[in-house]
Amino acid sequence: MTEYAIDASGIELTYSDGTEAVRGVDLQVPSGEFYGFLGPNGAGKTTTIKTLATLLTPTAGEIRVNGFDVVSESRKIRESIGYMAQETSVDEELTARENIRFACESYGVPRDDRAGRIDELLDLVDLQDVADKRADDFSGGMKKRLDAATALVHEPPLVFLDEPTTGLDPKARNRLWDYFREINDDGTTIFLTTQYLEEADQLCERIGVVLDGQIVASGSPSGLKRRVGGEILDVNIADSDSERAAEIASRADLFEPDASVEVTEDGVMVTSQHARQAGTDLLVALRDAGIDVTGFNVRAPTLDDVFLAITGEPVEHETPTDETELEVSP
Amino acid sequence: MSTPTTDGAETSEGGPTADRSRNSYLGEVWVNFKRWNLKAVRNPFVLIVSLVQPVIFLVLFTQVFGNVAGGAIGGPGGGGPSYETYLVPAIAVQVAIAAAATSGVGLVNDIENGMFEKVLVSPMSRSAVFLGKTAAELLRIAIQIGIILGLGVLLGAEVGTGMAGAVGIVAVGIVFSLWFIGFSNSLAVLTKDQESTIIGANLLQFPLLFLSSAFLPLEVLPEWIQTVAAVNPVTYGVDAARSLMLNADAASVFSASGFGTVGNAVVPAMAVLLVLALVFGGVAVAMIRRASSSKVQ
Repeated sequence: MTEYAIDASGIELTYSDGTEAVRGVDLQVPSGEFYGFLGPNGAGKTTTIKTLATLLTPTAGEIRVNGFDVVSESRKIRESIGYMAQETSVDEELTARENIRFACESYGVPRDDRAGRIDELLDLVDLQDVADKRADDFSGGMKKRLDAATALVHEPPLVFLDEPTTGLDPKARNRLWDYFREINDDGTTIFLTTQYLEEADQLCERIGVVLDGQIVASGSPSGLKRRVGGEILDVNIADSDSERAAEIASRADLFEPDASVEVTEDGVMVTSQHARQAGTDLLVALRDAGIDVTGFNVRAPTLDDVFLAITGEPVEHETPTDETELEVSP
Repeated sequence: MSTPTTDGAETSEGGPTADRSRNSYLGEVWVNFKRWNLKAVRNPFVLIVSLVQPVIFLVLFTQVFGNVAGGAIGGPGGGGPSYETYLVPAIAVQVAIAAAATSGVGLVNDIENGMFEKVLVSPMSRSAVFLGKTAAELLRIAIQIGIILGLGVLLGAEVGTGMAGAVGIVAVGIVFSLWFIGFSNSLAVLTKDQESTIIGANLLQFPLLFLSSAFLPLEVLPEWIQTVAAVNPVTYGVDAARSLMLNADAASVFSASGFGTVGNAVVPAMAVLLVLALVFGGVAVAMIRRASSSKVQ
């Protein structure tokens, strides 16, 4: 077993239309780690994961996966990784069992081991009851679980998960999270991409925040959230008194000196380690100043806040580049 | 059918899990062949639909045009074959076209539901993947042509070269279908849309059939149709199949010499169709390869 499941420096990938999807990414993921690649749509997450999984050839970069070179030893990599694409990938005309069997055959799982392996995986993703039903009747969550099972047939030491829970309801999502934790506990290295800080927070030991094809920050989930500077208190103000409200909120006696106060469209936003405790004081102070508070909310930092803290600008929610489609330029 | 072994030679023990993945090339072809056959059985609709139209043609044409067309081909009265016998080879080729037209639909489907990428990220050889899929489609075409031949015989057609000739007609149909399978898959990669793929391929079906030697001898057709028919692949497929059916040289464009009466028509036609298969197959492979490496610089 190699020390690093993924050891890459200077990954660059430019599409033929000139889009620089990945611009110099360095990655060192030790074997056994649960690593998260966090970023908004179009940041280059899928392009990076497809490059690591040998589906795309990098424009530049020194990339080794499980010790093999992505360009010259791609087949060895394909044998030793599991890959779960962003779009659910199952053959809906086949049953759950047949889908997993096809995957077993694709990866050359020995004939004698197949039946046992299929049952094991059906158990793992809780599809034993519907094993012989066709996948077109499955819910989105069931299809995702089946997809996950097919990526694990050959017990790969490294698994790539590209936004595995996007579009799932919380219950289905939590179930998938449990499976991923279970696989990771068994020693499998996991490389996961996600748009949700919460997901990265729940699962990952380490996170790289990616923006415009570059890693802009990395560290543990708690470390990243610390960079945001605590919890966030949003206060909505009725009239255009936001500037005055911000002044009041900035008074040193309300929050810790490290608190940041910003004027937003609807009022003010305070980021502080003590947002919860000092929030009431602020509301009282605002009322005393005659400012009409129409609403308030204390929340944990979101990905947007992490970006705001790291890059100084909010995430642009642009339309995603069409990087997940296999397209031929005309 | 015999059952080739799926997992190749070695099943090495003890090594890291990555070492377990060993399929022989034929094993990989077989895995994909099985998957596409299973899908065909699951979805008999496609199988039936691509048979319905040719069957309608066979029955209607022989019943409606049988007497008139019989004269044009020097029918039974003039010592020639019955129109049933004359038409069955053409319908066999029509079946090959209709079935081959659906090949690209399978590919689009796979691209849409992610199975295409799933297969690409597996260690299977990419050519084995497509060979397996194509082999399953060819098996389907062989069965369908067999059905048409059986139906034709029931309607009174005669295979002049007997059982061996019938097998030969199936083989001609398979070789003929290759270029159209290539064409259909190219359309699939180009449009990435099931409907466009099936409509595009089906639109061509009628002009291809009618502007060929399929339904009547070229001599009785207008001159411009004769010109088009001479460069229409359907003419070569039909002529080869018809020569086997009639146990005669039924080539309407050119015959070779030295291969026997039937062979003189079949050999050059097969050569033309194989070259076409290479060209269209090559284009399809190139397009699929481009699609599978996406648009990276």
